[in-house]
Amino acid sequence: MLTYSASKEPDFASLIAGIGAVGAVLLMFVLARRMDQLLPWALIVLGSAYTVSLVVHGSGIDGGAPLVAAGLLICAELAAWSLDEQHAIATERPVVVARATALGALVAVSTAAAALVIAASLAPGSGLAWTVLGAAASVLVVALVVRLAHRTAQA
Amino acid sequence: MTRIVSPRLAAYVGLAAIGLLAGLVFGRVELIALAAPFALAAVAGSAFAREPDLRATLVLDRERALEGEEVTATIELSSASGADRVDVLLQLPRALHAEKPNPLAFRLAPAETRSLELPLRCARFGAFVLGPLLVRSHDRLGFNRWETRLGEREPLRVYPTVETLHALLAPYETQAYVGNQVSRAKSEGVEFADIRDWTPGDRVRKINWRASARRGGGLLVNEQHPERNTDVVLFLDTFVDVESEDHGGTFDMTVRAATSLAHLYLQRKDRVGLVSFGGYLSWLMPASGTQQLYRIVDSLLQMNIVLSFASKGVDVLPPRALPPKALVLALSPLLDSRSTAALLDLRARGFDLVVVEVSPVPFVRPDRDELSDLSYRLWKLTRDSLRARYEQAGVPVVEWIDGVPLNVPLEEVAAFKRYARTARA
Repeated sequence: MLTYSASKEPDFASLIAGIGAVGAVLLMFVLARRMDQLLPWALIVLGSAYTVSLVVHGSGIDGGAPLVAAGLLICAELAAWSLDEQHAIATERPVVVARATALGALVAVSTAAAALVIAASLAPGSGLAWTVLGAAASVLVVALVVRLAHRTAQA
Repeated sequence: MTRIVSPRLAAYVGLAAIGLLAGLVFGRVELIALAAPFALAAVAGSAFAREPDLRATLVLDRERALEGEEVTATIELSSASGADRVDVLLQLPRALHAEKPNPLAFRLAPAETRSLELPLRCARFGAFVLGPLLVRSHDRLGFNRWETRLGEREPLRVYPTVETLHALLAPYETQAYVGNQVSRAKSEGVEFADIRDWTPGDRVRKINWRASARRGGGLLVNEQHPERNTDVVLFLDTFVDVESEDHGGTFDMTVRAATSLAHLYLQRKDRVGLVSFGGYLSWLMPASGTQQLYRIVDSLLQMNIVLSFASKGVDVLPPRALPPKALVLALSPLLDSRSTAALLDLRARGFDLVVVEVSPVPFVRPDRDELSDLSYRLWKLTRDSLRARYEQAGVPVVEWIDGVPLNVPLEEVAAFKRYARTARA
């Protein structure tokens, strides 16, 4: 993600890489010292590196944004999973497989939702406000579908 | 069940909000796309949250075991709705070690009953209560967890191992009832005691014809020593315990020795009593039989070292706890002045006293500096002088070091008593 952000703007690569490095160090600190309360800040710093690359890029929609979003989510979820496993509890394989499967599904759906947001913004006549509404609507729809599917499975 | 929501959920909502806000501020749709996955994850975390309907039971295969034996705890968990991840922990005291992973995390399918067998090795004696189980259930992504305690409390008694003793200490005096100890009195029995003149009423079979013929002028009869029982009081000093990390301490040695001695004396039909003289004073009146053995062992299991600064003497004990002519076998590290004074008091009252000094020396490691070494040597000299004081009072006192069989100090005491003579006024 950092490499992608830095490569988009070679003139500001050092700045983007520097911000990203701070985020990466903070993330490693969170994992090493098991301070899960700092995990959101590490993600904010990493996200800021991408934001800087977007801002200096100027106009034009970045088609790689869904992948960057998926990358951030994977980073967050894997870090959280690592922190959850800090206590030495012998875990059976089905538990690990179930969580990995759920994570994969979440990342896939999230990538699709982010792509939907980008696609919605590219539609003619769309404005930023509409894009925000569309993003919120897409999240709600997906959430409703998931909830209904879950209730059906329970029944 | 107590539900705990992961702070990650609130963090994702915050990140989504920051992303949306940043998108609006900078006018970049990509930032909104960046926020969408976190919003979705937060929604998914709430949507998948359902409290699992967990049931659990804990059963031990037996309530009593000996040190070193294995007890199996069977844990059964079931859930009507299933659980993506269940962590189960059986909290164990230090004396019990699980031979399989504890805690364990596993998945429960809906309506599945999972049975786990957890072998527990009893490393040390004691009275324990196991359970209830600590159970924690997670949703699939770890956004929510539910914690509760399930199952009943199960008692477990681990008895100390009994050491094989070749011989026991014989008290000076015996009691009136039949037992296995040869008495110094003369009456009906098996062991030959003496010869005396015949008196009317003596049975014909008691006449010693050979001695009578040799002496001439009257019949001589044999006298025997009868077999009687004895009263033994185990006097345990529970003021202080000196222990090391790797292998027990003086209190463990005391309890194991008391168990072995009580077991063997009761087998000989003797009456055994128990006095725990320490921060918490307790006693058991002397009695015989298997029931008394269980009473003594149960009392030993519940015995603890309790710190106390109260001044105590043996006069607080009821007279029946220390019957006259009883052998008082004291097991003490001789560290607390109250117990050393009490033992000398017992001797002064005329009790047949034996002191087995449960040596704290192997459990003490002095520092390497000169002052510590000097203090250590002075302390050992003080202990030698205390031992000499007991010996001057006619009390056999032997040092029992950890790792040495109990037979060795008992044999030393027997040798002391063999050559010592009680001074009587």
